[in-house]
Amino acid sequence: MIVLFKAAFLLSLGIFFVPKSWKQLYTVVVCLALAITTSLWAIAAFQSSEPLVVDLGISFWKENPSLVFDKLSAFFTLLINLTCVTGVIYGSGYLKPYFEKKSSTKLSLHLFCLIWLQASMIQVVSMRDGVSFLTSWEMMSVSSFLLVIFEGDKETTLKTGINYLVQMHVGFVCILIAFLFVFKATGQFGFDALPDYFASHNNLWIFLLFFAGFGIKAGFVPLHSWLPHAHPAAPSHVSGIMSGIMIKMGIYWILRIVTNVQSDFMSIGLFILIISMITGITGILYAIFQHDLKKILAYSSIENIGIIGIGIGAATIGKAMDNEVLIFLGLAGAIFHILNHSLYKSLLFYAAGNVYYATHTRDQNHLGGIIRQMPMTGMLFLMGSIAICGIPPFNGFISEFLIYSSAFEAIGKADFSTSLLSLGIILSLAVIGGLSVYAFSKAFGLTFLGSRRGTTQLHTEEVPLIMRTPGYLIIAVMVSIGMFPSFYLKIIFSAMSVFTHYQFSSTLTLLHSTQGTLTAISTSNLIFLGIFLLIIALRSIRKKNVSVEYGPTWGCGYSAGDFRHQYTATSYADSLGQLTDKLVMIERSNRKFKEEEIFPSPRAFQTVTKDLLEEKLVLTPVHKFITWVPKAGLAQTGMIHHYLMYPLAFIIIIGLLTLLKVI
Amino acid sequence: MTSFLLLLIASTFFPGVIVKTKAKLSGRKGPGIVQPWLDIFRLLKKGNVFSTSSSYVFQIAAAVYLASVITAMFMIPFEENTSFISFPGDFVLFAYFLGLGRFLLVASALDVSSGFEGMGANREVFYSLLVEPAFFILIGSLAMFTGYNSFESIFSTLHFTSYFSVVIGLIAAYVLGQITLIETSRLPVDDPLTHLELTMVHEVIVLDHSGFDLGIIKLANIFKFVIFGMLSANCLIPQEFSFVPASINLVVRIVIFLALQVVLAVGIGYIESFRARNKMAMNAQYILSISAIATILIFVVMIINNNL
Repeated sequence: MIVLFKAAFLLSLGIFFVPKSWKQLYTVVVCLALAITTSLWAIAAFQSSEPLVVDLGISFWKENPSLVFDKLSAFFTLLINLTCVTGVIYGSGYLKPYFEKKSSTKLSLHLFCLIWLQASMIQVVSMRDGVSFLTSWEMMSVSSFLLVIFEGDKETTLKTGINYLVQMHVGFVCILIAFLFVFKATGQFGFDALPDYFASHNNLWIFLLFFAGFGIKAGFVPLHSWLPHAHPAAPSHVSGIMSGIMIKMGIYWILRIVTNVQSDFMSIGLFILIISMITGITGILYAIFQHDLKKILAYSSIENIGIIGIGIGAATIGKAMDNEVLIFLGLAGAIFHILNHSLYKSLLFYAAGNVYYATHTRDQNHLGGIIRQMPMTGMLFLMGSIAICGIPPFNGFISEFLIYSSAFEAIGKADFSTSLLSLGIILSLAVIGGLSVYAFSKAFGLTFLGSRRGTTQLHTEEVPLIMRTPGYLIIAVMVSIGMFPSFYLKIIFSAMSVFTHYQFSSTLTLLHSTQGTLTAISTSNLIFLGIFLLIIALRSIRKKNVSVEYGPTWGCGYSAGDFRHQYTATSYADSLGQLTDKLVMIERSNRKFKEEEIFPSPRAFQTVTKDLLEEKLVLTPVHKFITWVPKAGLAQTGMIHHYLMYPLAFIIIIGLLTLLKVI
Repeated sequence: MTSFLLLLIASTFFPGVIVKTKAKLSGRKGPGIVQPWLDIFRLLKKGNVFSTSSSYVFQIAAAVYLASVITAMFMIPFEENTSFISFPGDFVLFAYFLGLGRFLLVASALDVSSGFEGMGANREVFYSLLVEPAFFILIGSLAMFTGYNSFESIFSTLHFTSYFSVVIGLIAAYVLGQITLIETSRLPVDDPLTHLELTMVHEVIVLDHSGFDLGIIKLANIFKFVIFGMLSANCLIPQEFSFVPASINLVVRIVIFLALQVVLAVGIGYIESFRARNKMAMNAQYILSISAIATILIFVVMIINNNL
């Protein structure tokens, strides 16, 4: 097994030497080999009570790195493998048109990085000592960077990629500094030192440092600004993998750190909760105002990170208040949501990739009506949209329900502040739910339904089967979660068993009662399906006996209507835009009519939506900084006399300060 | 089972009473009480005209809408152990099932590539986005007050704890009544009788539905009325009356329930006869004010529970 794992690394190099037409298949095989090996380890780890340690038998920086699979890392390993395998299979269809355009080396590098991204993510969730973890973390950032800039011959893509790389390294530095603090205090460099450190030191500051580092990867507001740029720039299978699972690596380590914290629960919990609420609401709010299909999905990833964060925050606050129900349901909801989001977000990105593949555009204002040419892709996107809005009978509802019920459990049986917090959780989830329906009725409706917006009627047809198969696979898992949620809850429950501080005597009882509730939900889903099928059956019987005609859409008596009468992405978002114009920067630009213009010339009207948080919190400070930095260059005059003056001035100042006993 | 049957009984006369009230108040004789049902039966028998630009989403939307509303009906309690589906947090499922129907109906509106229907779809999701917090604040405060978290346990304990429950029941019923008007697209947010597509919300979404599909959408709307009507009634009717013997308690409650439904229907008819529809631009503010009233309920609960 270890041989196979190591061989995967070696085999990945082989991509460069395989003939062009075999590269795809070769990648899929290596990726599957890697997935099977690590999944077997993960399953073994699930079955044993002790963590499974796989010694790699190599020595690296005076350490012997080994893969440690406890139940949580095993759970994540399975998720990584599922998402990466579907992503690689999807990619082998998506990359077809690029095979003529791109050189063999570029393609090989891309496929090579796909395998390395998968391998590095597995290492990130299973390596404990600091040096190997940080190396894996860096491997993950660099390989995903190379994947993002696949179309690097476009300048914007390259710029976005570099932006991503820089931000990842800001995060890397935060994590490194946090580790060094821990190292200085305990003499141990790695995650195993954390329990010791947290037991004897102030927990809040080191947590904030870790949160900043991992939060950039996860995309918590205001650290999210790389996400909406990188996902649209990357090829769809890469965005699917990155948004589906890679951003969860940040969440994974935040989870690990939070569950090791031993004091300051209340302040840490409140911090996570409030940041997550802001993340959730602003993420989905900005999604509504985008018209690039993949940008909508990118912002909705930010929203889902917020929902996961709300669950983690609720659990931490529960820990502060010794409220076992809040802890259990919050954590279970958060981890369940990680599973759910990795499924439907990769599905949606693959479907969006199909749209791009078939129409060569992602702009909703040029799309519409393609469900008639691409019925299966349309169905995949519809199901993904329903699931991501948290609407039954799909999986998204289950995890949101768990977080909801954690708040409803706490609301009636606690003091004033907890009740208020629970109400905050409920309200923010309700607002997020409503906004997601808005965003995804727009994402689905304006892309797939109606008629084509834009004058160019492109020839569109359904994508090849290989690009739909990953979608079908994911839908099957999603439906199985919707129908048998208590089975999946059991798996998540055992993944949660690694949080030893968060286990109580009542936890098992809670599991059983929650399983009962989830079974009731799946029964309701079945009832719904039954009624739905009954109505459809009645309808088709009826349809046989009556006349069925096809005619033009009702246009208020005006029969010459065309695509320009339809709502566009911009107009669909406008009613909300009028309410939230303070939160979303919508810039409208047009040329005013002048008085002397008797016969006005043609005019254009343009709206641009900007991310307020990115503008105010990232771009404005950076621009200020850039304008101030050159002022330091005043001293660099280029004259040797001035440079000789500086040491003299320095000596005089030091002398004066010493005389005056300042230093 | 009792609650489901009661919902069906109430749905037979609810829309008819509204129509009758409006007719009487404007000096007309008006159609019979069951006329809305006869209209639906007539529609179910009719043929279909589909837009040439519609897809399979349009074909399934109405069925999903009705199925989701019926599934939601199963969760409404009247007595203890009378709802088919009851578990902690069932109201979340209830709200989200209604959301499922709405999602598909909105999608079907966007499917026919009409500017009017795009407008209606947009308004529908916008208003439901605004009204959703009100429902959750309301349920949240009832859960806070009773300490339970399912429809059935909340309503069966609401009037046991203290006499203050009357205040809470009244505010809750008022908020629910307002939510009813928005969820079922009635005045003052939406006018079902308007003939101008530009000012429609719900009606414009179903403009291109015909025959069987239109029939079941109308049926689902009637069910939505009685669903919210029963929720409001549950806020007002106590589980037991001290002045009637236990044997006829249920009968008394059913009679009060049916009377309340008539009162609600007459109320809706009254509002629709004497009040104009809001200006479209005012609707957002109007709907948000319901959440504000629901927030008052929270503070009332907190004061009663000595939390504040």
